[in-house]
Amino acid sequence: MTTPDQAGRPATEERLLRERLQRAGYLADADLATTVWLASALQRPLLIEGDAGVGKTALATALAQSQSEQGATLVRLQCFEGLDLAQAAYEWNYGRQLMAIRLNEADKAGLGRVRESDVFSRDYLLERPLLRAISQSGPCVLLIDEIDRADEAFEAFLLEVLADYQITVPEIGTIRATHIPQVILTSNGTRELSDALRRRCLYHYLDYPTLAREIAIVKTALPEADTRLVEDAVQFVQALRREDLAKIPGIAETLDWVSALFKLGHHSLPEDMAAVLGTLGCLLKTREDRFVMGSDRLRQLVEGRRSVGVAEKTPGLHQVSS
Amino acid sequence: MNTAPASTPSERLAGFAALLREHGLTVGVAEQQAMLQAVLHFGPLQERPLQAAWRAIACHSHREWQLWPDVYERFWHPEKLRGGVKVSGQTRPSRNLRQSVQAMHEQMNAASQPGGPKSAPQTAGDMPSVGQDEYDAGAPRAQGGASRTEALHQRDGQMWMPQELSALQSLARQITAKLLPRATRRWRVAPRGQRLDMRQTLRRSVGWGGELLQPAWKVKRQEPPRLFILADVSRSMESHAALFLRVARAFALEADARVFVFHTRLAEVTPYMHRDTPAIQEKVNAVTAGFGGGTRIAASLQDFARHHARAQLNRGSCVWVFSDGFDTDEPELLAAALQEVRARGARITWFHPTRQVPAATALQRARRSIERFVPLASLADLAAARPVLH
Repeated sequence: MTTPDQAGRPATEERLLRERLQRAGYLADADLATTVWLASALQRPLLIEGDAGVGKTALATALAQSQSEQGATLVRLQCFEGLDLAQAAYEWNYGRQLMAIRLNEADKAGLGRVRESDVFSRDYLLERPLLRAISQSGPCVLLIDEIDRADEAFEAFLLEVLADYQITVPEIGTIRATHIPQVILTSNGTRELSDALRRRCLYHYLDYPTLAREIAIVKTALPEADTRLVEDAVQFVQALRREDLAKIPGIAETLDWVSALFKLGHHSLPEDMAAVLGTLGCLLKTREDRFVMGSDRLRQLVEGRRSVGVAEKTPGLHQVSS
Repeated sequence: MNTAPASTPSERLAGFAALLREHGLTVGVAEQQAMLQAVLHFGPLQERPLQAAWRAIACHSHREWQLWPDVYERFWHPEKLRGGVKVSGQTRPSRNLRQSVQAMHEQMNAASQPGGPKSAPQTAGDMPSVGQDEYDAGAPRAQGGASRTEALHQRDGQMWMPQELSALQSLARQITAKLLPRATRRWRVAPRGQRLDMRQTLRRSVGWGGELLQPAWKVKRQEPPRLFILADVSRSMESHAALFLRVARAFALEADARVFVFHTRLAEVTPYMHRDTPAIQEKVNAVTAGFGGGTRIAASLQDFARHHARAQLNRGSCVWVFSDGFDTDEPELLAAALQEVRARGARITWFHPTRQVPAATALQRARRSIERFVPLASLADLAAARPVLH
């Protein structure tokens, strides 16, 4: 059994991880920090699902950045339909192999006779993201982004990599990871992932942040923006998410919008609805949503925000500071 | 955390894992070991991080993620549950879908165990004490949530013979084979392909000293379209719901279709369609138990397009709606909802239980978005529709 000292250690490590992530510009809640820490402790991949724009990919980049002092690198594999082994794991450098064979033939003396094992060695192997990640000698974060966009065949191949952190190249054998990478998979749910893949991963569903958390995130990302502008804008976005929209704005959209308002010289949410409408393209990305959110509806949302804002603001900010 | 002195932590954890399995979570030996490892890492008294860690280990999908807080509280903190839950469990005239499906699942388990139902402990306090081999069925325990359901399959006109089921399955196979495939961006090697597969060609040339003697060709790989079936299980469709669900199940197995049921709201039942046991064949219409109070087709379709299949509806998708088209929403809303699905590129086929296309106003206004109407009141109707379903 674990001694009380050992049992307390993960809590400290989890807190340190949270602080490191915060320094890297990512505000993780306690549960997410625990899950990320556990994935690292158990050496298991972490599958993160959630709507677009909630910060799935940002977590991986922040995680790599938070370990940059230890020399951690981020290796990213962006998935798409048609992704195959040659683009994801490795490919033989055929041109170089043929050149080696030709050069050998041109060598009349035949001194540098080439054997098959010579042209099928690591020197002739082109490393793609998966092989690059397991070949790292130091800490590494492997981000497999939008895994749902790849097809089932690729998912089946991934199982070997994720379970044993190894890749088998028929010509030279199995390449095992010398340093286990921290793997983060993200999915937007365009396709149902297989049970086999899901079971190999720890799982976390990332939801839209609470009001207080989103204010803190925006303040961290845009420290130069006025506090009142940030609070007003985030409250407005939170209200907007409750509307019946085809594409709900994520955190990235909030950041874009606050940044746009700040660059336009606003210190709080403008009273003039025309000014709000002019920048709304940062939040609403479909024609239908723009149509639904006319100036009247916007005014209602803004006025609603002002009436609830005073009551919600103070306790919300207390949650962050605690 | 509730610490019953009668059992060891690992036994309580095993009981919790069994309860999670009962709720459809995939918690095997590997997950249990990982959960135990988490206890060793955090210590049994650190409830918040421990719960977060267990959730990450035991949940594998969004549905399970949402289910977790209820199951966790029920097992470890039964005292926090509201009074009514612990003593309920009797058949009630109205239940939500999740409870009905849960009841169906329990009955299926019971049917597969000749010794009678032996469910997982519902709370940490229900765990057997040390040295007690047999689970005491008479011990008091929480029965919250799921409960028994009526045996709807016993009604006349809903009995299906095995040969009919196999005929339906074969029909579904034939229709699936005829569905227009969609081209993907992935290539496959084919002797009569139109494009040269450079990678394979060069790979083959190695054996000939680099001479390109054996060219390899490739063609675009095609996949069957994504099929979505939305079955109306409202009170007005009660007599047809059994047929609809059986047809939906056949296509869930053959075409990997995602199946949804709706009445006043929409719910996905695909996982239940994939359980290939005789018991589920007979109990599948238990899903419709307790439904009533109108049909909100437009709202359900909107929910389907915006949330459930938000990222999956595209040019290669087929949406089949099984309904009579009588909607309690405003008539123009259905046209708008169908137009929204159509705008994503999906093709919509409407299956109606009547001979003629239903005269419902909502459906008449939405005709433009519907590719075709198909009558579906029996297996023969489906067989007759085979040439037009593609």
